[in-house]
Amino acid sequence: MAETSITTPTVNLRDVAKPSRWENVRRGLYRFRGNALSLVGLVALLIIIIIAVIAPFVVPFREDSEGRIHATERLQAPDGLHYFGTDHVGRDIFSRVLMGTGMALQVGTVIIVVATLIGVTVGAVSAYFGGWVDDGLMRVTDIFLTVPPLMLAIALTAALGKGVTNAMIGIALVWWPGFARLTRSLVLSLREEVYVEAAQSIGAGHARILFFHILPNALSPIIVKMSTDFGFAVLTAAALGFIGLGAQPPAPEWGAMINEGRDYFPEKWWVTSFPGMAIFALVFSLNLLGDGLRDLLDPRARR
Amino acid sequence: MNLRNYLLRRLLLIIPLLIGLSLLTFTISRVVPGDPVGLAAGPQATDEIKEALRHDFGLDQPLPLQYVNYIGGLLRGDFGRSLYSRREVRDDIAAYFPATLELTLAAIMIATVIGVPAGVISAVFRSRLPDHLARIVALFFVSFPAFWLAMIFQMVFGLQLDWFPIGKRFNVLDIPPPTITGLYLIDSLLHFDFASFKLTLSHLTIPALVLSFGALASITRVTRASVLEVMDRDYVRTARSMGIRERTVISRHVLRNALIATLTMISLEFGWLMAGAVLVETIFDWPGMGLYAVESSLRLDFQPIMGITLIYGLLFSLVNIATDVAYGIIDPRIRYG
Repeated sequence: MAETSITTPTVNLRDVAKPSRWENVRRGLYRFRGNALSLVGLVALLIIIIIAVIAPFVVPFREDSEGRIHATERLQAPDGLHYFGTDHVGRDIFSRVLMGTGMALQVGTVIIVVATLIGVTVGAVSAYFGGWVDDGLMRVTDIFLTVPPLMLAIALTAALGKGVTNAMIGIALVWWPGFARLTRSLVLSLREEVYVEAAQSIGAGHARILFFHILPNALSPIIVKMSTDFGFAVLTAAALGFIGLGAQPPAPEWGAMINEGRDYFPEKWWVTSFPGMAIFALVFSLNLLGDGLRDLLDPRARR
Repeated sequence: MNLRNYLLRRLLLIIPLLIGLSLLTFTISRVVPGDPVGLAAGPQATDEIKEALRHDFGLDQPLPLQYVNYIGGLLRGDFGRSLYSRREVRDDIAAYFPATLELTLAAIMIATVIGVPAGVISAVFRSRLPDHLARIVALFFVSFPAFWLAMIFQMVFGLQLDWFPIGKRFNVLDIPPPTITGLYLIDSLLHFDFASFKLTLSHLTIPALVLSFGALASITRVTRASVLEVMDRDYVRTARSMGIRERTVISRHVLRNALIATLTMISLEFGWLMAGAVLVETIFDWPGMGLYAVESSLRLDFQPIMGITLIYGLLFSLVNIATDVAYGIIDPRIRYG
């Protein structure tokens, strides 16, 4: 008798939640379409990604992105054969700039992903557990935040040894504190939500609550920060390459290419100009996109 | 809590921060996979020479003892010696620091003088042409690699137009003003030496301008956002309804309250620009901390880098405290505690 009187609700909560989430995405896309600048950024970025993917198959002098030397063709001005001219050892700059696109994208992605993983974990754990865990982790974060990141990245990369992998590690290791601070502030308010209490009351573990209930709700601001930081990560990696700590010649890294062309500037302007413009094109489109995403995902910034 | 106690507590809190920072840089400098001693001793050095060098710099002692010695030195104001040049890091920093400070201060001033009005104009003309324009221009300039832009500016303004010198703080053959603060602009004024002042300014302009671009976008954006927020407040509506001119409402009622967020951003950017100066200094051959740091790190000479990071950490903390104190001056409702 008692069994029949209690009717279990058959409504799946996921089904209820889904339409509203889709509705939000749809509205967001609508707003995004209205923002011409971020559309330009998105399209430009897509073109750059396509270039990065097809570059190995279409560039005229693929072997020039490796250690090839053409002593007789050095420092030639741009012409029909070498669209961007040649560098100090006769390599085709057009091919090298195009081949460097994939490298720049990879480097930026690795830095941001690693920094996000470290930062989000530190920030979330810190805010969720509070007390001495919070104190300890935040003091460490503060130490990193006291020194300008570029300076610390230079020191770390120098210690680890020159090279693009170490530069990525070095930059990521100084980039996470921003994400830690952001995540901490988000989780601090989210852990007071009713659904967290509900999850606790049905016996969910700490890890489950933190990673399945709290963090998904903190995602938007984190994604915004990832997208706005991406361009700066690319710039920082290029800066390390330029200083001579990042990618080493003959790798077709834009920063290192500018460094190689410095001695011939401004007479042989093309050696430095084209890699510089490539960095600018990538970072500018990333920044335009990030700016639009911020309007889209961060309601406080939207006005 | 009154201001004095507050300041005292904040200043004391810097100490553990600096200890942590020194531990961090010390660890970094001692895990180097390369061979700093071999690099400093030169390619012809025998093992005996290297061993003597290691002993001379105390690098043959156990690591904890090395760290304790380093901290002990710091307490006496001794930053150790450079492995490469054998010179006192303290003397080097004293020589290079004012150059970077002058460059960074000039850059942050340019960024503020352009960024704050741009932010206010963007907010007042929200979603109209000036707003979009300011946004695009800010995003545009912040997207350039600073070192590349520095080279382009050097070529255009230094070589082709010949308006400004192409590098260094001062003409190589001329004697800079006698040191009082180490900031040439101020020193030359204190000596009523206007020729030196003009010369310093001409050397400073382009590097500072290039450096300022890094901070321009965020200062503009933060000012715009906080002006927009304040413009919605009741007291602004009241001021408007009293018939006060819009210009007065903005300058007297909105701006002052909106400045707090801007001030935070400026102080944050100050630290970022100091590090960004690394790249600008490299291009313009500016004899500052950045150039010193880059050269030291390429030689795996870590004593200078440890000194530089500590100085930056100290400076950044002091700027933060100064900012917090400034909040109270701008907005008397803010209490220290």
